[in-house]
Amino acid sequence: MAKWLEKLAERILTVSALISAFITVLIFAFLLIFGLPLLQGGQWFGLLADPWSPREGLYGIRPMLMGTVYISLLGMAFALPLSFGCSALISVFAPRRFGGFLRKVVQLMTGIPTVVYGFVGIFLLVPMVREIFQGGSGMCVLTASLMLAVLISPTLILFFVDGFDRVPRSYLDAVAALGGNEAQQFIFVILPNAWRSVLSGIVLAFGRALGDTLIALMIAGNAVQTPSSILESARTLTAHIALVIASDYDSPEFKSIFACGLTLYLFSAAVVVLIRSIGAIFGRKER
Amino acid sequence: MNDPIKIKIEHLFFRYGDRFVLRDVNLRIAENTITAIIGPSGIGKSTFLMTLNRLWETIPGAKLQGRVEIKFQGQFQEIHDRDYPPTTLRRSVGMVFQTPNPLPMSISRNVSFPLKLAGLRQKSAMADRVEQALKRAYLWDEVKDRLNEDALLLSGGQQQRLCIARALILEPEILLLDEPTSSLDSKSGAVIEELLVNLKGSCTLLIVSHYQDQVQRIADTVFELAEGKFIPMPVRK
Repeated sequence: MAKWLEKLAERILTVSALISAFITVLIFAFLLIFGLPLLQGGQWFGLLADPWSPREGLYGIRPMLMGTVYISLLGMAFALPLSFGCSALISVFAPRRFGGFLRKVVQLMTGIPTVVYGFVGIFLLVPMVREIFQGGSGMCVLTASLMLAVLISPTLILFFVDGFDRVPRSYLDAVAALGGNEAQQFIFVILPNAWRSVLSGIVLAFGRALGDTLIALMIAGNAVQTPSSILESARTLTAHIALVIASDYDSPEFKSIFACGLTLYLFSAAVVVLIRSIGAIFGRKER
Repeated sequence: MNDPIKIKIEHLFFRYGDRFVLRDVNLRIAENTITAIIGPSGIGKSTFLMTLNRLWETIPGAKLQGRVEIKFQGQFQEIHDRDYPPTTLRRSVGMVFQTPNPLPMSISRNVSFPLKLAGLRQKSAMADRVEQALKRAYLWDEVKDRLNEDALLLSGGQQQRLCIARALILEPEILLLDEPTSSLDSKSGAVIEELLVNLKGSCTLLIVSHYQDQVQRIADTVFELAEGKFIPMPVRK
C-alpha cells in the first residue's frame, strides 16, 4: 500500500478517536451548564441528600441514586457468576459443537431489544417473585436486578469467551502435553492470561447496568423511596429522568433531572476508573 | 544389541476427515534408543507423535484406528483404552514442540508446573527436582541465578531447553520431540543434540527432524514417512 494512503488512514482514525472522546466531554459540559443553577446555589449536595417530595418543594434524588446503586450492583452480582460459568463452558468445557451452538444463542441474545426483556419480566418474573415471596406487587429491586442480569449477561459472556479464546493455543498444548486436564488449563493458564478481557467485559456490562432505563422503568415499581429491602419497589436515576422529562420545561422537577444526569455520569466514570485502577495494580504485580 | 521393545504399534490408521495420514502402520520401537522420523513437511510426522500421547484427540475431525501399546513398568498398556486416562499417559510420555512454548511465568515455575498439575505441593522437594531437571537439560548453569525471571526473556535455544527440562521433571519414560531444533541457530541446536544423546540412558526418544545430517548424528533407527507408511532407512553409524 502507498505510504500516503497509510498516513491518511491513520489521520482519519485519529480524528475519529478525537471526535468520540470530544463528544463524551461535550456531554459532560452540557450537563454541567444546564445543571449550573443547581450547582451554584449549592443545591446539588442538598439534592443528593434530600428525599423527593415536590409538594414540599423538595426535589432530592437520593432515593433514585440508591435505587440505581442497588439494582445495578445486585444485577452485576447475579450476572457475573452466571456469565463466568457460561463462558467457561462455551470456550473450554463443552464439546465443540455444543459450545458453538451456545455461543450463537448468546450472540442472538445481545440483539434482542430491551423492551422484550421488560415484557418477559412483567409477565413471567414479576408474578413469580410475587408468588415466591408472598408479598407486595412483585415489582421490586430483586425482580429488576434479576432481569437486568439476563440483559447484561450476553455482553459479559461474549467478552469473557473472546478473552478465553485469545489465549495462545501453544499454552494450552503445553498444559495438555504435560498431563493437565481441562480444568487445570482453565485455572492455571486461561484465567491468568485473559483477565484483561474479563475486566473490559465487566466495565462495559456495568455501564450497561447503570444506564439501562427500560428494565427498571417497567419492573422495579418506580416508587420514590430508598428501598430498605430487595423486595421493595425502587426507582433508578434513568427511570426518573424518563418519567420526569414529560413535565413542564421550567419546573423545578425538570431542572432536577440534570442533577440526575450529572450524578449518573460521575458515578459511572468513578466506577470505570475504579475497575481500571484495580486492573492496573494487578498488571503491575504481574511483571 | 538386543533391546527390549518399548512401543508396539499394530495396524495403526489415522485420518483427518477423509485424508489418511497413516495407513496400516506396524512398528516396534526399542527401549533407550533414539528413533528419528523424516519426510517432507505436511506428511503427518507430527501427527504420528501425537498418536503416542493422545494429543491428537484435541484436533477436530481426527480419527484413529489400531493398537498402540507402550510398556510401563514391564507391562504393555494399550494407551487408547477407555479407562486409561490421557493425563496419566502424558505424565509418562513427554513432548517437546517445534516452537518453544514456555508458559508466561518464571523459569522455576515453568519447570515445576507439571508437578503442580500432578498435585504436588511440597516447595522444598519441588526446588530440588527443578534443579535436577534443569541440569539434565543443560540449562542450570545459565539460569541458576535468575530462576524467578520471566521465562519468555530467555533466548530461543534456552527456551527450548527449558521446555525439555519441563518435560523431564516428571521423569517420563518416553520423550517425543517435534523438530526441536528447527527454530534455533546451529549452535543452540548442537547443544540440544548432545543432551538428547545423553538422555538415552533414561528415556526412549522419538524425534521428528528435517535435517539428514542431524538424524545421522544422533539416531539409532531412522524411518521415512511416505504415503502413510514407515520405510526403514539406513543409518551410517
